[in-house]
Amino acid sequence: MNTQIKWTKRIAVVGAIALSSFVINLAPTAAQAAPACAVGPVTSCQGLTSDGAPYVMQVPGNFNGTAFLYSHGYRYNVALPALGYPAVLNTPQPGPVVGSDTSVIKYLLSHGYAVFGSGFARQGWNADSGVATDVELISTFKTQFPKTTHVVAWGESLGGFMTQVLAEKHPELISAAAPLCMATSQVEAELTMAGDFLWGLKTFFDPSIQGGNYKNGTESLQDLGRVVALLTELKSSIATGVWPSKTPAAVKTMLGAIPPRSALLLVGLMAGLPTQSAHFDGSTGPGSPNSSAYTNFALAGSPALAILENGASAAVLAVLATADVELQAGGTIFDNTKTDYAARVESEKAVFSSGLSGATATAGMLAYLAAAPRVSADPVSVAKMRALASYKGVINVPTITMVGVADPITPAGASQWLANQYADQYAAAKAAAMKAKVKRPVNALTSIWGVTPNHYSKFDATGAPDTSGAAANGTNHCNFTVKQFIGVADMLASAATTGVLPNPQTIKTTVRRMGGSIVDAKFEPALPKFYQQD
Amino acid sequence: MLVHRSTKRGAFAVAIAAVAALAVSALPAQAFSPRSETGVTSSTIKLGITVPLTGAAAPGYNKVPFGMKAYFDYVNDNGGVNGRKIQLVIKDDQYSPILAKSVTNDLILKDKVFALVGTLGTANNEATTKFVNDKGVPRLFVNTGFSGFANTKKYPTTYPLFPSYFMEAKAIGGYLADKFAGKKVALIYQDDDFGIDALAGFTQAGTTFVAKIPYASGSQADPTVVGKWITGIVASGADTAVVFGVSTATAAALGGAYKAGLAGKIQWILGSVGADPTTIKTLVPAALPLLNGAIAASFLPAAGDTNDEYVKQFQEINAKYNKGVTFDTNVLVGMNAGMLTVQALRAAGSNLTRAKLMAALSTSGSKFASAGFAPLGWSKTSHVGYNGYWFGRLAADGSQTPVDGAGKYVLYTTDSSTGAVVKSAITRPAMPAKGLPTN
Repeated sequence: MNTQIKWTKRIAVVGAIALSSFVINLAPTAAQAAPACAVGPVTSCQGLTSDGAPYVMQVPGNFNGTAFLYSHGYRYNVALPALGYPAVLNTPQPGPVVGSDTSVIKYLLSHGYAVFGSGFARQGWNADSGVATDVELISTFKTQFPKTTHVVAWGESLGGFMTQVLAEKHPELISAAAPLCMATSQVEAELTMAGDFLWGLKTFFDPSIQGGNYKNGTESLQDLGRVVALLTELKSSIATGVWPSKTPAAVKTMLGAIPPRSALLLVGLMAGLPTQSAHFDGSTGPGSPNSSAYTNFALAGSPALAILENGASAAVLAVLATADVELQAGGTIFDNTKTDYAARVESEKAVFSSGLSGATATAGMLAYLAAAPRVSADPVSVAKMRALASYKGVINVPTITMVGVADPITPAGASQWLANQYADQYAAAKAAAMKAKVKRPVNALTSIWGVTPNHYSKFDATGAPDTSGAAANGTNHCNFTVKQFIGVADMLASAATTGVLPNPQTIKTTVRRMGGSIVDAKFEPALPKFYQQD
Repeated sequence: MLVHRSTKRGAFAVAIAAVAALAVSALPAQAFSPRSETGVTSSTIKLGITVPLTGAAAPGYNKVPFGMKAYFDYVNDNGGVNGRKIQLVIKDDQYSPILAKSVTNDLILKDKVFALVGTLGTANNEATTKFVNDKGVPRLFVNTGFSGFANTKKYPTTYPLFPSYFMEAKAIGGYLADKFAGKKVALIYQDDDFGIDALAGFTQAGTTFVAKIPYASGSQADPTVVGKWITGIVASGADTAVVFGVSTATAAALGGAYKAGLAGKIQWILGSVGADPTTIKTLVPAALPLLNGAIAASFLPAAGDTNDEYVKQFQEINAKYNKGVTFDTNVLVGMNAGMLTVQALRAAGSNLTRAKLMAALSTSGSKFASAGFAPLGWSKTSHVGYNGYWFGRLAADGSQTPVDGAGKYVLYTTDSSTGAVVKSAITRPAMPAKGLPTN
């Protein structure tokens, strides 16, 4: 199997999470003071909220009264110069940016909408302070621009999480919401995915990986270095079948006959990582579909490489977010003492039998995991973590979610979980209306899914995977096009003014025009593993 | 004035009623169904199938959907089912579970099929189960013998047709004990639910192997892997080898054995889904000397048995509606499933719904005519299809003849549990006239 990958991006770069910056060249002003504004065709204001979050507001001359509040995603709270992030960024961001393309913001301004957003007062897992910042910012915006009639809240990743929390806690402040590629309803679910993945890597491949219980920032950064080094080594391990250099002797003894790619795939499956990634579709091989090379790669190699590529995306956040929340909670927050990893993959082990090297190999790996030392959390720290901001899945305003089905950081299942919660809420509301003989409520949530093409893996003339192209639709974190953002924005603006989502046919037509997306109540991505345990 | 207005209103109402009556009389009966069912119109029924049209497992299996489609085309040309033509949407899953999920999503969400029929592969059907279950899509006559698919709680909309691999292994185990007592038997099996099901059956039958050689699905395409199989067989000292895998695995095993000089030294016994001779011959012509004399379990008549009324009729349909395609076991499997589908659709009635289709199978499916020799077990409490096999010896030309019973088919039936394997009488319903069901 030829799996020599042309990696055109460093793993570290792949690890960037919603760090796109939309630089506003305005000097910050004193906290809580009225914003400093530069009047023009588009009036630009900047200032600081009471907690010191820098913000920016952009309002067109033909402002129509609807303003879009954007909450940006997770930014690292430590500088990572070696990974290309020399400083902690709190640059305010008023809207989605695709790469360096600010077309979405320009589109909104050109259509009479205002945009505003902050850079938040702290980075890392900052939902509590971030929502407070958003609440204050809405008030400041309305004061500054009294013509405002509606505020639409939207955001990506952790910003999507904050958007939903804001919509649940302060529906009086906003008229519509779009939590995009939203994080799971509580940070524990995200960190369980991270913890399972890191624990699996540690157990199978490198016992020196900590995976948590970090005493300080230095420890977490050193651990990050170990994880990145392992993932780099695994690239060649997948191709050669040789287990990584720090693999425990017991693993080599008990599982040495199994290719390491199968162990990596198992780790990804039990953590809940998607088995399709930016460049690996899990079903395509090199050359003719009828060749053995094609089948070998498609069934055995591609799913493991997808886990590796997705793992590389998620690993940086897995380590640093764990360290950050541990810092906030006071101690270890990941606990797998009761996790049944065999049950976790029960429905998938048959599906990925080829990639896992068959049932016998799978049983051997699961037996090894079952006997491996587990991690215990500190109950006090867990309680503190659970007290951090979360959302319950209540829909108070017209809401649109959008996420790629193979998003490796904020799984599509997080949005499905929200849809499931709302389905119960909606059913109860309909039943109550029937009982009271009043008008039935209208549906207030629509879920848009960025879908992957059936085949998108590319190979060079030698049959080696070619990862030089753009990430496939539906993969990577918050990987949306300008068209997709604008489609959502149009529907949000309509919902804000009418009080209801556009009718189903309009939504379908809009989503079709966006491309790469579907809206269908029958489509249900799997829930994250954390919720499957419930 | 009041009277005058009333008269006008009355005349208007009469006019509306007359127009409505005209319109109603022009509508087909199906228009009066309580609601329109997904994939069903007044003139069509849309069905979907996923199979490997390309890829390692494709040879042979890629003929199944076209055999089925040929039969549907034949039925359509003869009036269809209750006035509706059957459309079959065929999707290539390359035997990849990930791709199977994707194309099944397409069938259900984009193509909006009424039901799935003949979807192929144990892992692939397992991969799509949650979605199929959640959406309540009937999944008829899956092309796999994994016994788990008869679990009505786990797979409520799935109706297996094949006898289970568990049954097959029990039958083969019994046959080995009866005819090959004292032989050293090795087993090559697909190491997933397909093969594990068989292992359980062999255990139940009390079969012992001198070597058990598992292989991960798809790895049969790797010559290194196949080389290890042959080394394992030779090292075990086996004189008999059972292959429980897909046809490409059988072909690889026979080809590898031939290369290793094992021609004439091993008696090969093949599982039913991996024993299509035309596929094996096409894939590995070198395997022919080993195929000659191999024994295979089957639940349908031999594809070359023109004395069989089903085979004869299906061959005629194949010649006209599947032109240029050699009739073999795969075509037979496709047509047989097609004929059962037509009977199920007919039994479900004109106001076709998914619920009625499944109810029809449960209430009358066991009486449907089909080419299989064993009875069909569908009922309100069971989704088990066929339950038995016969054993045939393959010849160099690919023909298969019964090994016992003086050239006649001898049926062995059993269950997927602890029941005994018993010789059973063949009580197959007659082929409907011209192969067109009238149930």
